[in-house]
Amino acid sequence: MEQHISIQARRYVCIFALLLSVLAMSSCRVQFIPAYDAKIAEQIDATAKAVDKFYLTMLATSTAENEGRAFNNYTEQYVAIEVELNSLLNKNKIRPLNENSIRICEITIQLWQKYKQEHKDDNTLSDGLIKLNNKTFSDIFYAMQVAEKGKELVNNPPQ
Amino acid sequence: MSFNINEVSAGMLSAIKGAVAEDWPEVKATAERFLQNKKERLALLAELRIKGELSQAKFESRLQDEKLILEAELNALAVLSKAIAQNAANAALEILGKAVTAAISAAL
Repeated sequence: MEQHISIQARRYVCIFALLLSVLAMSSCRVQFIPAYDAKIAEQIDATAKAVDKFYLTMLATSTAENEGRAFNNYTEQYVAIEVELNSLLNKNKIRPLNENSIRICEITIQLWQKYKQEHKDDNTLSDGLIKLNNKTFSDIFYAMQVAEKGKELVNNPPQ
Repeated sequence: MSFNINEVSAGMLSAIKGAVAEDWPEVKATAERFLQNKKERLALLAELRIKGELSQAKFESRLQDEKLILEAELNALAVLSKAIAQNAANAALEILGKAVTAAISAAL
């Protein structure tokens, strides 16, 4: 009788050990990047469109003559876009394992502030510079989108 | 005990190769797009300098900005590489996990 109980107990211990090992193996996954965030991807797209619209409208509706492109005419739009860029940076900062996307946001803000300051100092912007600035930001936003959409490549991300 | 480390290692290696091969075209296409974008920017930059719309100082300043843009692009490629590495590592770990579980079951 005692021997029978001992065999039963050993069996339960083994089953418990098996369950534990299955649990351990199933949760044993590595994570190098955060999970894809569709809302952030949407915000990147919306901000990229706002920047594109900003420069295309400037190009289409104003000229450098008669102070048509004076910095003061665009201050509000510069601020509105910078607010969106700062928001993207902050949202990326609170996600762990996200240093690459954070750096891309920092570079975008650095260049946005630099070109804003150039516009302020010169108090005008030539057609060529508008095109160059627009192209530069279009390419940086593409890199930002790649970094976010790249997170979608991950199969079965850890929960 | 039905745990053959050589068989499991081969299975893990195969899983890694499969994961990398599946995602590699994404990295290649993106890197090519970045290169094309850079060519277009540099062509525009050169045109502005030749036309005199950009001073030499501003031209040089914009060339410095190219370093930052390249850094942003490399960070984007790093995310793709990490995603691929994560998929490969997890595919290999899954093979190992299944083999260990099967070996334990067989031993019981």
